[in-house]
Amino acid sequence: MFRSNVKNRLLVDKIMMGVVFACVITAITPLLWILGTLFYGGAEALSWEFLTQEPGAVGGGIPPAIGPAIQGTLIIIGLSSILGIPIGVMSGIYLAEFGGSWFSKQIRFFTDVFMEFPSIVLGVVAFLAIVLVLGHFSVWAGAFALSLIMFPIIARATEEALKMVPWSIREAGTALGLRKWIVTLRIVIPAAKNGIITGILLSVSRVGGETAPLIMTILGSSQFFGGLDSPMDALPLRIWRFSLQPYDEARLAGWGAALVLVITILAIHIGVRYWFIHRRKSMGMSPRFSKVGV
Amino acid sequence: MTRLIDPSLDKLSRLMSQMGDMAMECVSLAVDSYLEGKGTGGRVRELSTEITTKYFEVEDLTFDMLLKYQPVADDFRLIRSSTEISYAFSRFGRYAYDITQVRHLFGDISECKNDSLFEAAKKVKHMIRDAVLSFAELDVRKAVKIQEDEAFIDRMYKERLPKLIESKNTKCALAEALLLRYLERIGDHAVFMSDAINYIVTGKHRPTQEQISSHISKN
Amino acid sequence: MATVITPKPASSTIVGSPINIPQKKYKMVTENVNVYYGNFLAVKNISIKFPEKSVTALIGPSGCGKTTFLRCLNRMHDMTKSARVEGKVMIDDIDLYDKSIDPIYHRRKVGMVFQKPNPFPTMSIYDNVVAGVRLNGVRDKKILDEIVEDSLKMAYLWNEVKDDLKKPAIELSGGQQQRVCIARALAIQPEVLLMDEPASALDPIATQKIEETITELKNDYCIIIITHNMQQAVRVSDYTGFMYLGDLIEFRETRKLFTDPKNELTAKYVQGHFG
Repeated sequence: MFRSNVKNRLLVDKIMMGVVFACVITAITPLLWILGTLFYGGAEALSWEFLTQEPGAVGGGIPPAIGPAIQGTLIIIGLSSILGIPIGVMSGIYLAEFGGSWFSKQIRFFTDVFMEFPSIVLGVVAFLAIVLVLGHFSVWAGAFALSLIMFPIIARATEEALKMVPWSIREAGTALGLRKWIVTLRIVIPAAKNGIITGILLSVSRVGGETAPLIMTILGSSQFFGGLDSPMDALPLRIWRFSLQPYDEARLAGWGAALVLVITILAIHIGVRYWFIHRRKSMGMSPRFSKVGV
Repeated sequence: MTRLIDPSLDKLSRLMSQMGDMAMECVSLAVDSYLEGKGTGGRVRELSTEITTKYFEVEDLTFDMLLKYQPVADDFRLIRSSTEISYAFSRFGRYAYDITQVRHLFGDISECKNDSLFEAAKKVKHMIRDAVLSFAELDVRKAVKIQEDEAFIDRMYKERLPKLIESKNTKCALAEALLLRYLERIGDHAVFMSDAINYIVTGKHRPTQEQISSHISKN
Repeated sequence: MATVITPKPASSTIVGSPINIPQKKYKMVTENVNVYYGNFLAVKNISIKFPEKSVTALIGPSGCGKTTFLRCLNRMHDMTKSARVEGKVMIDDIDLYDKSIDPIYHRRKVGMVFQKPNPFPTMSIYDNVVAGVRLNGVRDKKILDEIVEDSLKMAYLWNEVKDDLKKPAIELSGGQQQRVCIARALAIQPEVLLMDEPASALDPIATQKIEETITELKNDYCIIIITHNMQQAVRVSDYTGFMYLGDLIEFRETRKLFTDPKNELTAKYVQGHFG
């Protein structure tokens, strides 16, 4: 009978809740531990000079500064985004709205394979295609490599976000006598906006921490940005370099740089999301109706 | 597939057929009582009252069905005509009762019978039987016959009535006048009934003149 | 032409369509429309003349092709790759399927309201109503304001929402959303209005309001409505067409079709013997 095992079922329910809760704790704990360690290890290194000066000679007793590295990270993320986002979004739109043909099936397959490429391989590609051809390491090469990493993530996320928009919306737009590109641009994409933004944010976080491709393309440097044709520094590179040096202050600088990197990525995330939630609230939309992703 | 409305339609059909049988019996008894002097007044009154009760039942039932089921097409026409037909039945009962009352009020009228009355009475009995059968079988061909019979009674009514003014026997003249009047009215309602049946079957409100004239010219 | 199904002596006449209504202009005329989904013939040779300023209801059991046929009337099948339409659909003597005309331009003459209300989710009520107009290039705020007011008034929604036009449309109730969709369809000033079971997803009060709206609109528009609700067809429409398995079985004035259907299949369907 159904009534007799109610007690059992409640007990099982409680146990399962406990198990799930434990799993969540297990998943979050390392994350919090990492953040805590970073803070503990790197907070000491933070100072205005640390954040804005060039590293200078090693061995002076004070942690080498990471000014150029911060600048470099921001530049490389920005440049890669300029290259990768438009192409990624447009590919996603093409796949979602005009897909179904043999051609788009190949594109989709290609994109999926691309996503799985080890980033170091993409770094090598950029090395061969740009660094060797031009004869020197450059920011262009780095941006190119990173945009290759960003492009499939954004394309897929965009495609999925667009697919989540109900078909009835497109029908309604078409029934109003609007051309297909207007329906896509002015009606469907705004409805998929959140999913697309999420895809972009994910790709930005991903490339913000990439090291291997940068080794072979922008190489790293101790100076501030010197032109798109020259090598440049970036936080992941700098952290790696610091970790190889035997000096204590270098290690400390490494922790500090790692902390700065994590905070930067976090800030980008929170900033973009807040901008969207804040904007939606001021438009009068309640969070209940938030769409995919955010 | 049984629809929600079907049990109610069955009930309606039962009521109507009961009313039809009672109406036939009623009018037959009344006419015979007049022509043959039988004392059937009590039974006729009984039947007539019962027909009226059933008439009210039918009214309630039809409006109930309209409210609940919003019928269309055949169902709709059937229900709509049922009100007219059941009213006709109730009228048959009423006039049958009135006919028996003539004998009751006037006393012995056995010397008043004549051939034309016999004929009229026979025609009326046929008419009612035709009407009831026509409804039971939803057969419109009988409608034309009913129209003919009604025309005959109408003619007779118009012919006889003026002649009665010159009659020497006041009692018989009055009795005959009343009887003719009731027969004529029964005839009218029989025709209304046949119109209603025609509506059920064909969706049209009257059989066309052509049908009538072509049928008459054939005979 | 319409097919005759197992006639009985009493009611066997073939129901011809198109019927010719004297002194009335026809707004939309279809001739021999066939629709194929792949190899499957979903709509079979339908020719109907829809009079102007009237409401025509299309009824029939699920899967009989009503929606497929309706979608021919504004070329919605262009969106579906596997669908192929043959025949003519004419508005005021212009065939929508003629190769030489721009389908999108003429599609604006036909408004469509769908079964499930589908306001654009990211737009406010105001933006939704003017979407068809604004996205076609009209920018003047005064004109847009006027269009919003007129359309919402025609859809019987103005008084309920006039104080809060910036509210997101999806925060309205189902019935209100559907009326926003009606207003949106009316805003592009179509000549024909197509409605695919517009009230089927709504509660009875909302349904009543939609029916009232339709009854008002028919003074100006040719309206073609698909409905599963027989009583709604009786209440709202002037002409009714009964479809079954892709064929048009009967097409007559509503009152006649529902009190005295000529075709036995029609009689069976409207009385609920199947479907």
